[in-house]
Amino acid sequence: MSDHAANGHSDSFEVRILRQDAPGESSYWERHRVEHEPDMNVISVMQRVAARAQSADGKPVAPVAWDCNCLEEVCGACTMVINGQARQACTALVDKLLDEQPAEIELQPMQKFPVLRDLVVDRSRLFRALTRVKGWVPVDGSYDLGPGPRQSRTEQEVAYPLSQCMSCGCCLDACPQYTKIELTPGVDESAADFAARQEQTHDSAFLGAHAISQTVLFNSHPTGKVNAGERLDVLMDEGGLQICGNAQNCVAVCPKEIPLTTSIARAGRATTFRLLERWFEK
Amino acid sequence: MGSTESSTFLERNEFLIRRLHSLAGLIPVGAYMCIHLLTNASVLDSPGRFQTAVYQIHSLGAALPVVEWGFIFLPLLFHGILGVVIIRGGLPNSGAYRYTSNIRYSLQRGSGMVAMVFILWHVFHMHGWFHTAWWLENVAHPFFGAQFSPFNAASSAGAALGSSLVAILYAIGMLSCVFHLANGIWTMGITWGVWISPAAQKRASFVCSVFGVGLAVVGMSALWGMKTVDQEAARQVEHKMLEAKLASGEITEEEAEEKSAPHAAEAETGAAQAESESDTHTGG
Repeated sequence: MSDHAANGHSDSFEVRILRQDAPGESSYWERHRVEHEPDMNVISVMQRVAARAQSADGKPVAPVAWDCNCLEEVCGACTMVINGQARQACTALVDKLLDEQPAEIELQPMQKFPVLRDLVVDRSRLFRALTRVKGWVPVDGSYDLGPGPRQSRTEQEVAYPLSQCMSCGCCLDACPQYTKIELTPGVDESAADFAARQEQTHDSAFLGAHAISQTVLFNSHPTGKVNAGERLDVLMDEGGLQICGNAQNCVAVCPKEIPLTTSIARAGRATTFRLLERWFEK
Repeated sequence: MGSTESSTFLERNEFLIRRLHSLAGLIPVGAYMCIHLLTNASVLDSPGRFQTAVYQIHSLGAALPVVEWGFIFLPLLFHGILGVVIIRGGLPNSGAYRYTSNIRYSLQRGSGMVAMVFILWHVFHMHGWFHTAWWLENVAHPFFGAQFSPFNAASSAGAALGSSLVAILYAIGMLSCVFHLANGIWTMGITWGVWISPAAQKRASFVCSVFGVGLAVVGMSALWGMKTVDQEAARQVEHKMLEAKLASGEITEEEAEEKSAPHAAEAETGAAQAESESDTHTGG
């Protein structure tokens, strides 16, 4: 208990959490007081909050819901808005956060995705975008195709950073051009109909930096580039690359430091040539 | 994908339309603004030099409105109206994410909106939007529009910029346009895939900044030169030039009357010309 006092932190600190009980319901702020322990991250804060199940003024409350999985910043599940910026809870260290903003730690769910409960959001639009751009290399067949072509060292060095994307959604949450889409199921609408309607809406909305970067990754892959034209056509469909407004927040907030804006510019060049190809080569 | 049966023409051609919006910002709109500011800056040489440039533009005659609408107004309206649609599609967050490029994103939208309002007013203030007699008499002139007279170019522009408030509004509007173009060229280079790596984007950003500062200097000089022009002296030069054009038959009396400042003839004749000439003017 003496080391954190030396750091200038008091024995406990306040966490302000934006809560929401169910999809579509209104959100509300709730304060929680957490005892300070050495080397805490926001995940351990959430564990203490859940264990205490009491707001700062002593009122018993339902434990705050949140998502997490790997605890080492490779899965993206615990992404939330911490002190106003989208990032992973597992690598958000409490002592650092209190140094930057001593009064309290502020937690909000991601702002661009529908809230399921408290800090848990539905990121299905993010994954749908990867399906839209065909973010894979199709190699399945009825016979052995043998080893694929070799990638040169330089190609590997360009591709590897792009392959580190963990689909956390920070780039989307920080993007001023990626706006929230939240649909509510109709009274007589079946779950399947609602899911289909949601998918259709997502398909004409902005893809986002992560999907653009994955397109560039698979279009530069020696086998993946067979489908390069198809993927570029998706980037040129409604809600494609053209929505990007070059605010470049994506690259600034990416926890994996993926050169997203370089990918966006490369996709810009590729689609420029694709446009010429469509007009003058067909 | 996305091209369901219910999608509209605009949605299906979103990519192409956005690229045309990007292109139109540079060619012809941005290019026109550079020429416009450089031409106006010629007033710093002399009001006569500026008047010569205006005569050159008006030598297009009947083709002038076609060129103006085809290369200036329609692309500008397209760029502006689509710009509003684009602005409505985004949600600036430079308060929460205070990165330089994000602040520039917000400024690009802010300057675009200022530029649109300014240009609409500027074209009304100087040219009145429409040239029919009824409109000019009942709308343009009562609301301080149509102040510019092509054949009294420097003197009428100087008079239109007489009030300091007007000049300040012009400076704000013009600088918004210049920022919007300089920053727009930088984002355009990324959009079309000209500068790709972060290092290249940084170099391009520097070049665009230098261009922007340079154009701002040209624009401010033009504004200053126009505001501080000696209107009386300018009028005399303009009158002499008009007389010469009339004498050579290059322009007609009708055109001269339409494109000269109201009462310009009287003021000039009073100042410098012989009375006999004044008779021919009132007679004609």
